[in-house]
Amino acid sequence: MDFANNPSFIRQGPSPAARLALCAVLSVALLVSDSQFGLMERARQGLSVVFYPLQRAVNLPVTLARDVGDFFTTQASLQTENNSLRNRHLAMAARLSRLETLERDYDALRRQNQFKSVRHDAGELAEVLYTGRDPFSYKIIIDKGEDAHLRPGQPVVDDQGLIGQITRVQPLTAEVTLVIDKTLMIPVMLQRTGARAILYGYGGGVEVRYLPVHADVQQGDLLVTSGIDGLYPEGLPVARVSRVERNGDTAFIRMVIVPVAGVQRGRYVMVLEEKSHVPARPAEPVAPVQKTKKKSAEDEDN
Amino acid sequence: MSFDRPKEILKPVKRRIILLSFMLAILFELLPLPDGAQAWLPDFTGLLVLYWVINQPRRVGVGTSFIVGILADIASAGLFGQHALAYSVTSFLALLRQRQLIMFNLGQQALSVMALMFINQFIMVVARMAAGSAFVGWSYFLPPLTGALLWPLITKLLLLPYRNLND
Repeated sequence: MDFANNPSFIRQGPSPAARLALCAVLSVALLVSDSQFGLMERARQGLSVVFYPLQRAVNLPVTLARDVGDFFTTQASLQTENNSLRNRHLAMAARLSRLETLERDYDALRRQNQFKSVRHDAGELAEVLYTGRDPFSYKIIIDKGEDAHLRPGQPVVDDQGLIGQITRVQPLTAEVTLVIDKTLMIPVMLQRTGARAILYGYGGGVEVRYLPVHADVQQGDLLVTSGIDGLYPEGLPVARVSRVERNGDTAFIRMVIVPVAGVQRGRYVMVLEEKSHVPARPAEPVAPVQKTKKKSAEDEDN
Repeated sequence: MSFDRPKEILKPVKRRIILLSFMLAILFELLPLPDGAQAWLPDFTGLLVLYWVINQPRRVGVGTSFIVGILADIASAGLFGQHALAYSVTSFLALLRQRQLIMFNLGQQALSVMALMFINQFIMVVARMAAGSAFVGWSYFLPPLTGALLWPLITKLLLLPYRNLND
């Protein structure tokens, strides 16, 4: 018999409407207490403990299936995964090395910036484009030229010291002759004693010729520009004496000298203003122009 | 027309079958399902509540629906009382028209069940939004449709143990 359809003749408790009212009030009370006051947290915690074993039991077949699936992971899928991981690794390595380069550049630029703020004659920051093609001349090309009002003869430094001198200016680029080039000579002095000398480049390095054997030179002495040429500002570090040899057989001291600046490394250089506080010549107004011309001409000769 | 089903002579429904079906439905809530499935899977607990209310109104009423709703609240980690409220209201509505619903054929029943399930979802959305949640999107109203589609199947399945097969 399907007694579900039989009407109930006996009253069984309150009517459905009353039950609904009770249940609705109860659930609204629960809702409010849960959402507004968080009163049900404790009950929820207790019930979740009750539910936990059930949850585990329900999850058990799923986790089991997953474990079995893991166990039977095919070699092909492992291989593809391995390949993709390797690719990823390569890509990451490339990115990492790029990042390292960027970090180095950033450091260099920051040091240059500091340098620029310290020196009041600091001029133009430039990037090294490439080195000259001729293996016998030590020249670099920078990315500033006439557009940045560079002139031949301006000294070029990095954050540690003198690199060289601008010798040729093109519309957009400029050629910098490095201190180690054979054609470049720089008046220097020993920072410790103030003794003046001339630093010659010899193509790949620098040297100081013709210092007498008894000259006061020690290992580690710093050679700075003396500033007596009216071109380089005085006090720029140029090179350091790394070894001193005093042989009786020659009249002159032999020294091994190493440039302090990153002459053949680094990507950013700073072009300084020519030394400006040369006393102005009186009278003829064309004179200063002539002078610079003559000077740059001299530099070309060098 | 459609007076075939109620005329069938069935074995009496045992209480433990009702309990077992509710338990299975709650356990189904606990199943770890992929995210996409949650969007369209019907609320089996709600469907079962409606089924038993329609077919066994003297066993399962508003109070039972409320209790099952509380359990569903805990199982689904929702707000306390949202399922309870929804199930109580829909089971009351089903009880009001129970004698009509039981005479419907399966298609008509499925349509009414869909309406009731829509009311379920609507009540839960209102409850959640009143509690401060954002609207989850119209896909929240997709489960009643799948539930209505599954209704004939569920009915047949639940009738299976009570059929007199040996006559």
